[in-house]
Amino acid sequence: MARKKKKSEETQNIEDIQEEKSSLVDFEEDFEDDLDIEEELELLDTEDLSVLGEDKAVVVDKDEEKKNLFLSCGIHIGTKLLTGDARKFIYRQTNYGLYVIDLTETETRLKIAANLLSKFVDEGSDKVIVSSVRRYGKEPVKKFCEALGCKAITTRFIPGSLTNPNIETYIRDASVVVIVDPHADKVILNEAQLARVPVVSLFDTDDSLKGIDLAIPANNRGKKALGLAFWLLAKEISIQLGKISSENDFPYTLEDFTSKIVPLYNKQQSRR
Amino acid sequence: MSIKRNICSCCGRPITPYEPAIHFPCPNCGDVTIWRCEACRERGKSYRCLKCEFVGP
Ligand SMILES: [Zn+2]
Ligand SMILES: [Zn+2]
Repeated sequence: MARKKKKSEETQNIEDIQEEKSSLVDFEEDFEDDLDIEEELELLDTEDLSVLGEDKAVVVDKDEEKKNLFLSCGIHIGTKLLTGDARKFIYRQTNYGLYVIDLTETETRLKIAANLLSKFVDEGSDKVIVSSVRRYGKEPVKKFCEALGCKAITTRFIPGSLTNPNIETYIRDASVVVIVDPHADKVILNEAQLARVPVVSLFDTDDSLKGIDLAIPANNRGKKALGLAFWLLAKEISIQLGKISSENDFPYTLEDFTSKIVPLYNKQQSRR
Repeated sequence: MSIKRNICSCCGRPITPYEPAIHFPCPNCGDVTIWRCEACRERGKSYRCLKCEFVGP
């Protein structure tokens, strides 16, 4: 809820106070502005909702089914901010000023990212580093790494882990780094740059391409959206590596990949 | 030994041997090695694959 107010009103005061507060507490709390799907759908206008409703009523083919899955997880829901870098991935802006990501771009880029990552996973899955500072990204990252044997970083990233061979957490020969949010995961992003490791990142409408080698346009704050992105990515990589022969053989469900954290928003509602 | 320098796929400049540039296979076709010089990567400049025309990042 805080994010919505913050974004829509863009009151500098609130941001200042929140910034002050968060700097006093844990580093990770800087990024606890994850959104819940119900909350995000509220930010869409009626046009989006009617599209959702219609599609749910008549599920025709596989493409349609996939589109519905994308929409129901809100993977297309951006923010009210748009960077020049994100412009090419935008489908439209809603009446309420929210930018909507082009689903075909998301789908294409997920495939392309899977192409690239499957090469690195094939060469040595433990050299593929996947990180999320965001709370809702932790579960998808853990499951992704469990499925493919990659290295998950879901606690605080220790500075030097990619650059300083003298520290305990140093990861030798990391081949690629996958992050959820260029802003939230900026410590590992900077290190990957120094260590000359390619970076693949989910990319929301308010993000910048600085230091990123491949962007996947997607909502990177929503619980369901993050689950879906990593589930699809892991499934596609498994297919490309011949670990499974068809999508249906993937041993994990979307639910498995989705964070179980109950958002504050829902807790408040159920109390009423 | 011939000196064959890799070319930055963003700015087209030859990459010097000790420059902290980065390289990875083209995410789309996988057949071409994409090179990005430090400056281009830092600025998020786009690269283009010479084979499949894929434009990243
Ligand atoms: Zn360059
Ligand atoms: Zn290519």
